[in-house]
Amino acid sequence: MASEGRRTFDVSLVTPEGAVFEGEAELLIVPGADGEIGILARHAPLVATLRAGATRVHVRRGEDVREYATGPGFFKVEQDRALALVDDAAEAAQIDPERARNQLETARSELERVERGESDADRWQLEQRIRHAENQLQIVGGAESADQRPLTSAG
Amino acid sequence: MASVQDLKRRVRSVRNTRKITKAMELVASARLRRAQARIEAMRPYADRMQELMVGVARAASTNRPGGLPLLERREVRRVAIVPLTGDRGLAGPFNAQILRHTFGLERQLSGEGADVRWLVAGKKGRSTLSFRRYEVDQAWTGFSDQPAYSDAQAIAHRLAELYAAKELDRVIVVYNHFVSALVQRVVEQELLPIPERVLEAGFEGAAPPEHVGDFIYEPEPDQILDRLLPVYLETELYRALLESAASEQGARMTAMRNASKNAADLIDALTLAMNRARQAEITQEILEVVAGADALSA
Repeated sequence: MASEGRRTFDVSLVTPEGAVFEGEAELLIVPGADGEIGILARHAPLVATLRAGATRVHVRRGEDVREYATGPGFFKVEQDRALALVDDAAEAAQIDPERARNQLETARSELERVERGESDADRWQLEQRIRHAENQLQIVGGAESADQRPLTSAG
Repeated sequence: MASVQDLKRRVRSVRNTRKITKAMELVASARLRRAQARIEAMRPYADRMQELMVGVARAASTNRPGGLPLLERREVRRVAIVPLTGDRGLAGPFNAQILRHTFGLERQLSGEGADVRWLVAGKKGRSTLSFRRYEVDQAWTGFSDQPAYSDAQAIAHRLAELYAAKELDRVIVVYNHFVSALVQRVVEQELLPIPERVLEAGFEGAAPPEHVGDFIYEPEPDQILDRLLPVYLETELYRALLESAASEQGARMTAMRNASKNAADLIDALTLAMNRARQAEITQEILEVVAGADALSA
């Protein structure tokens, strides 16, 4: 692959507690509600919902990759600017298992209460939060092997 | 008249009090700064969320207007008042002014024939309401100094749930808006139904309309909007909680500064009285010595 072919675009990953990532990247992979969405520069304008999952920002494709465990949220792409708005994001390297476990417990107990006859919309969000906490714990569990993860090299 | 010993003891006691109020002032000012930083940090999220919502709402309304539970307006029978108070006192008028305003609002709403329900954040609000024998449907406590986004989510979920289930027809949040450490303004915010102007592009910072038609929506705009509205609610509550937290710290800082100043004045007055008393004692002793000497030489 010719390296001139690598175009970058602006990526912002924003939570209510502040921006987690702001900068240029070559490739962005977000967990869309119906499956992962990969975004390259010059992507068509898009608005989508995100489920809890892993968001990967390839600052340099296959070389400098930031991985985040992100909560449910929304995603928007317009003219070489991608914006992900999520309710929580933790960089894979800095996940606090204690915090994740607490989140998991709170969400589970809340879900149990909802289970006793309440609306589906809310339940969906709780399930997302549980998945997000589990997602974090899962990423922490695999943290040792994260460095050796076989990233597809551009060659 | 108090003796020198008594005055000395009082000065020592006031001095200790001043140490405490000084420390509280410093802690409050550090927390205030943190709370302000968090308000700043959430602004980009809130702004972009709103921008997104306006864009999606415009795309959605071209297909099918309304129909979403959180936007539905109906005849108001049950109104929830949600006062945001602190968990602790010693914050000047912070809690009192919220509650005073809240009771005024309650009288007004009851006068209009509505059934008022109470959902409250903060221990102070809960205890005052139960002391006055109001029935509190739900109370959230334990986070007033440092509310997390998940605290706002918990409150928003509950309110949205009750509203969608038609248990409530209107929700009003009452909180302290942070102006400065000296000034906090009580504001009422209509939370539910979500005001229509929120979805209109009239305000600055809205998405430029020329892009709207070009977006690919996944899923349909209506479904995205259905999911955006609860998040909007969370964001608004989070903003209110942060404003309230900043106000609480600001009010506490000011109250403790005044308390420290009063303590210092008191110490000055007491020290003066103590010195006078000591001087009086000395003068008395000299008079006695002189009188004794006169008696001998006479």
